Amino acid sequence: MAAVAAWLPFARAAAIGWVPIAANPMPAPPLQERQKGEDEKLGINVSGRRFETWRNTLEKYPDTLLGSPERDFFYDDETKEYFFDRDPDIFRHILNFYRTGKLHYPKSECISAYDEELAFFGIMPDIIGDCCYEDYKDRKRENAERLMDDQVSEAGDTVQPMTLREKMWRAFEDPHTSTLALVFYYVTGFFIAVSVMANVVETVPCGPKPGKTENLPCGERYALAFFCLDTACVMIFTAEYLLRLFAAPNRCLFMRSVMSIIDVVAILPYYIGLGITDNDDVSGAFVTLRVFRVFRIFKFSRHSQGLRILGYTLKSCASELGFLLFSLTMAIIIFATVMFYAEKNVASTKFTSIPAAFWYTIVTMTTLGYGDMVPDTWAGKIVGGICSLSGVLVIALPVPVIVSNFSRIYHQNQRADKRKAQKQARLARIRIAKNASGAHFINKKKKEQDREDKIKQGIDIEEEPKDSRFESQHHHLLRCLENTTGPDLHARYIKDREFVEMEYTYNGLAAPKAQSSPPTPSPSQSSQGNPVESSCCSRRRGKYQFARSVSDTGQELNDIQIAVPNKTSSKTHLNASEPPKINSTNTTVTTSAIITTPTPGTTSDTEESMMTVSTTTSPGNSNIVRISTL
Amino acid sequence: MPVENEIDDLEMQVMRYKPEGIDELVRNTKFTKKELQIMYRGFKQECPTGLVNEDAFKEIYAQFFPQGDSSAYAHYVFNVFDADHNGTISFEEFVIGLSVLSRGSLNEKLMWAFKLYDINGDGYITKEEMLDIVKAIYDMMGKYADPPISENAPGDHVERVFQKMDKNRDGVVTIDEFMETCKNDENITKSMSVFDTIL
Repeated sequence: MAAVAAWLPFARAAAIGWVPIAANPMPAPPLQERQKGEDEKLGINVSGRRFETWRNTLEKYPDTLLGSPERDFFYDDETKEYFFDRDPDIFRHILNFYRTGKLHYPKSECISAYDEELAFFGIMPDIIGDCCYEDYKDRKRENAERLMDDQVSEAGDTVQPMTLREKMWRAFEDPHTSTLALVFYYVTGFFIAVSVMANVVETVPCGPKPGKTENLPCGERYALAFFCLDTACVMIFTAEYLLRLFAAPNRCLFMRSVMSIIDVVAILPYYIGLGITDNDDVSGAFVTLRVFRVFRIFKFSRHSQGLRILGYTLKSCASELGFLLFSLTMAIIIFATVMFYAEKNVASTKFTSIPAAFWYTIVTMTTLGYGDMVPDTWAGKIVGGICSLSGVLVIALPVPVIVSNFSRIYHQNQRADKRKAQKQARLARIRIAKNASGAHFINKKKKEQDREDKIKQGIDIEEEPKDSRFESQHHHLLRCLENTTGPDLHARYIKDREFVEMEYTYNGLAAPKAQSSPPTPSPSQSSQGNPVESSCCSRRRGKYQFARSVSDTGQELNDIQIAVPNKTSSKTHLNASEPPKINSTNTTVTTSAIITTPTPGTTSDTEESMMTVSTTTSPGNSNIVRISTL
Repeated sequence: MPVENEIDDLEMQVMRYKPEGIDELVRNTKFTKKELQIMYRGFKQECPTGLVNEDAFKEIYAQFFPQGDSSAYAHYVFNVFDADHNGTISFEEFVIGLSVLSRGSLNEKLMWAFKLYDINGDGYITKEEMLDIVKAIYDMMGKYADPPISENAPGDHVERVFQKMDKNRDGVVTIDEFMETCKNDENITKSMSVFDTIL
């Protein structure tokens, strides 16, 4: 609507045509003073690239950032323009949206970056014009699929199956989780192969039984052996099926799934065969049932991803296959009819009826050409020629669609697998990089601290570059945190609580670097032994990074360190090992530092338990911050 | 295939129309230069080729009257704006028409209205012509009016108006009759100035 605001004066003017026939006078027009600055140009500076536009253009869409007073937050009084620290390339498209009313999606941009910009400027992605909408949606879907894949695999990695049933199910679904699962996987695969091979070999002629002349197939000659083999395979399959049924989280769903139906169909003939006696009537049916044993080969699809993809492709190409089938049927009927009538009058013709001609048509259209039925009349030959030519065309049409579908799905799968494989390596590299920067960060912090200490002590320092304001405040913040979570100053033996190098696995589970041997009781005794000193000297402890008293949590460390001689009894630095833990698992405290450097486990509990005489073995599994209880 | 040919033709036909210089337009209309600038910018934004054809015109009009069907009325208005009847409205025609409507004298406005009602341009408004226009205006209201519009409303309305205007009862309204009736009707004269626009 706003886009045609320029035409409103015209619409109003054209309304003069209503006046002569109006029965009543028109209502008075709204008071309009001339709006100031309506055609004023606004300058927008996006990361250095300057855009200019009319104010009207922006205000066409008042529910977006640029069209509403929200843009005033970004106004720079000095340069009298609006400054946005965003991507100028994408901003171009956003500004075009205001100008033309159509939002375009550039194919060269990353979909998530584009989405972010749209969200920032308050524009709904649904406004994207038809010309670009499909492309946008496709890429968004791809992205979402990828994210979901990652999430699923991540969830798969971290979720620990608790019950036996869940463990079994996971073992069945993903053989790589444990050795037992892998063994099971290979064993079942082996037995499937054996069973299929047995079925095949059964029918090979093996030579006559001793004493007879008839050439028997192997199945009948060594009937007992094959029977035993079959029994063994079926027992394994039955056991597998029952185990899967037991482990399945949703049994009804499992029983309806394709794979389980195949399993059932594979083993049923055997049991039915057991039940049927050697009756002549039924043995015919029994033989037919044996055919179903060949379905065992489909059990391989659990073992082969390519097979699964093929099945999935066929399912997703169902419409193309249906079309192929339909058009073939149409063509077959047409050609068969024509052939029949063309060859009807030939003596002893093979084309005895239209259905008989079907066979000829199918064989010709698929260019097989067995030659068991050939036309004699010239009309029939012409029709036969046309038939074979058109057969090639009709079959060739839907095939590329199916092939491309398969290729796309297959490659998608490949990419997913590759991504998963690469993920481990990538994460490891990222972890190392973070460690390095984390160590660097801690180094800086230490240096800064030392500098400040020296300043307070009046020691001359070399001129070092001062940290930026941000960094110094950040360091101070972290020191306060150390302060808050630090152990009691009684315990001298305890190393300073500091941020140490990250020793933790990516999951954030703590892995202490080294365990100092715990002769903890004695030092604690000694510290207890000087209760007076410790309590009143707690503030004068040297070089402790933390003062632990409830009232002191906010105290500036600088104050503490002034009066304190350089006691470095427990001053170990970066290689500070974990204070020994007693009966408590490490917990991690993650501060939102520049990098996620989890603090060394809050063994505050352990230290506290050491502080107090009574052994308060606090389990402290998930304490984040503990204020000391002196 | 005919569609392809059409598309080819369209591509050949991308005409660009340049209006006369702005100074001349300032002279021919009652708008100032600044107003003309604003109007041209809006005009060219909506129609980059510089020409409005009837479909675009109808579309623009429809945006202002979403509830009803404004295509009929837009058609008639288009015909009045399109002074040389070549099927497109150029910027000059547009601006000149607007100048009359928003800044013109009462006489000029009444002339314009007469031209609107006189669909075939023969100088006489017949009852059928008026009925067409009135129906078009009622169509713009749409079906969801309160009180709802009856089927006979346009007809009755035309009867009333014709009674008022057709002084000599000859079944047509001439320009003089039209002017006279309207000038003598205070409502109409007052309402004519309601739509003056300040850009």
